[in-house]
Parts: sequence; C-alpha cells; structure tokens
Amino acid sequence: MHIPDGIIPAQVCAGGYALTGLTTWYVLRQIRRGPDPSEAVPKAALLAAAFFIGSSINIPVPPVSVHLVLNGLLGALLGWYAWPAILIGLFLQALLIGHGGLTTLGVNAVMMGLPALIARGIFQLRYPLGARLPLPWALGIAGFGAGALGIGLAALIFFGVIVFTIPSEFTLTTERNALLGLMVAHIPLMLIEGTFTTLLMLFLHRVKPELLKSQGG
Amino acid sequence: MARSQAYFGDLLLPLMVALGLWGQAQTAQAHGAHIQANEITAVEIEATYDSGEPMAEAGVEVYDPTDPQTPRFTGQTDRDGRFSFTPDQSGDWEVTVRQAGHGAIAVIPVSGDGTITAAIQTNTPLTPLQRGLMAGAVTWGCVGTALYFWRGKR
Repeated sequence: MHIPDGIIPAQVCAGGYALTGLTTWYVLRQIRRGPDPSEAVPKAALLAAAFFIGSSINIPVPPVSVHLVLNGLLGALLGWYAWPAILIGLFLQALLIGHGGLTTLGVNAVMMGLPALIARGIFQLRYPLGARLPLPWALGIAGFGAGALGIGLAALIFFGVIVFTIPSEFTLTTERNALLGLMVAHIPLMLIEGTFTTLLMLFLHRVKPELLKSQGG
Repeated sequence: MARSQAYFGDLLLPLMVALGLWGQAQTAQAHGAHIQANEITAVEIEATYDSGEPMAEAGVEVYDPTDPQTPRFTGQTDRDGRFSFTPDQSGDWEVTVRQAGHGAIAVIPVSGDGTITAAIQTNTPLTPLQRGLMAGAVTWGCVGTALYFWRGKR
C-alpha cells in the first residue's frame, strides 16, 4: 500500500507534500481549539505504535499479500489526532523498515491520513444511530464503517495515483491488471479491518467507555 | 549451319535445366537458418518483494549512463523475477522494476570491459530479528511518550 521512492513523478511528490502541509496546519488548529490539546497524546502515541506494527503484519490473499493499515481505526479512536499519529508512523516506517519513502511521505500521508479523517466523520454517526438503535449496535455499525472505509478509500487513492502516473514506456494493460488484482485483494482486508474495529469498539465500550468520546474539537 | 543450330539446341536445353536447378538451389539456401553463439557480458537482475516473493512479470526499464530520460531497454521479468540486458558502454546503468505501484530502482556500475564491479543489492531486506527490534524500539518510544503525557495529567 505504501508508495516507495522513484515510482511517481516529482511533481506528484511535491503536490503530496503541499497537501500534507496544509492538512497538518488545519488539523493542528483543530486540536488546539479543544479544551486540552495534550489530553489525547498518550492514546495517540500508543495507536501510532499499533499503526507502525500493523504494516508488518502480512495477510496472504493469493496471489498477492496485503498488510494491515489500521488508518480507519485510528480515525475513529483518535479523531483529529489520527493525522499526526499516521504522519509520524509513516515517517518511522520509511526510515526504519523501508516501507514507503521519504520523497513519497506526503503522498502516503494524504493516501492514509485523509481517509482516517473521513473515518472520524463516519464514526460520529454513532450518535444519530444510537438514537434509533441500541448503543452497542450503533457503535458496531459505525466502527465497521469507519474501519472498512478507511482502508477502502486509501486503496482507491493509491489506485488513482498509480494509474495516472504509469510511465508511457510500460505495458499499461499488464500494470493495470496487476493493480486491479491488488485492489481486489483489499476487499477482504476491508472486512478484516472493519470487523477488528467493531470488536475493539465494543470491547472499549464495556471496559473503558471514556476512551470512545470524541477528541480534539 | 543446320548442324551448328542443332548443336546450340543440344547445348541450350541442358544449360536451361542447369540454370533452373541452380536457381532452385539458391531459393532453397535462402530458407536456411544458422545460429552462432557469441560470448557476451550481460547483467542479470533479480527483483523480489521484501517478503521474499519474486516480482514475477513486473515491468522493467533500463536507462543507459548517457540518457536518464529515455529507457534503453524495456521488458518484463520472468516468473522468478529475473531480467537480463547487455550493457554496451561503461558507466552507471539505472534499472527500474515496478509492479502494481510497488518497485525499486538500482544503479549498476559497469566498468570499461563490460563487467559490473560486484553483486549489487538494493534495500537489503531486514531479518525477522531486525524487524522485531525496530518494532520494539518504536513501541518503547511510543509507550514512553504516552507515559510522559499521562504522568503530566495526574
């Protein structure tokens, strides 16, 4: 899922960094507006570690293998804090284990961070859903939507970025078919991440419900 | 005169047959094929994912040292992720392998006599132990950060 160095043109890398800079500014502004900006830092730090480790867990979906991303989970649990957690996680992944790259850090942050912020919005639907359904059901449905759509949207952005930047010298059909195979392999991953997010939300609702309250404005 | 004409006629028929046979022989020779083996110095690359699986049927681009914009060779790796090319000049040859948005770049220095200086390996894959150590170090750092901010709240 991570785009490595040398795959996409320099202009796209620069665009990714510009969009990442803009989003970081906006997100930090939103965090600062909250009553206590450092309140969710411990939670964000722990989930950044989970994000870092998640990318090392490979799940074979023949003929390819995919890995956990957990961006939807971070968006649902951390709210705005998901963005800095993902940005730091991606930086460490690129530097320490060679997942992604430093030139593509901006593009990768947009690819995984923006869907996490959208997942935050989806998880907010637990409140209107909770008015009509029992709370565990509302939490489960909103959690599944956030977890599954977080990774699903990230895969779509990945597909779009790669398809529109395939060099003309390459056999387009071969590369598109390979990409399509990888995208199809992400459908089971959406179900896995959606289910995992649901189970975690239901567990936290039972043992520590205060962790589920909205963070950062 | 009549004798000399007959003599010419006697000669003409075998001559035409001979020419026809020669012509047929020439045509048959054009369908022949020959294979000659020459010794060359080629570079073989082997592309694998960091999980160790080969990058089978991945796109390959090879750039010569003088033109980094236009690929000199393009092609696909085989089932084992291998691709060969023959460099015809010394310098740094750049090889790009990509498949479904994943890939790598390698710079292969070719010396004057057409040989590469040593086996080149880009991004040496981490061993499970190294990977575990990295994960442990990052987790430790994150837990430390969490404890620092959590302590401040108490």
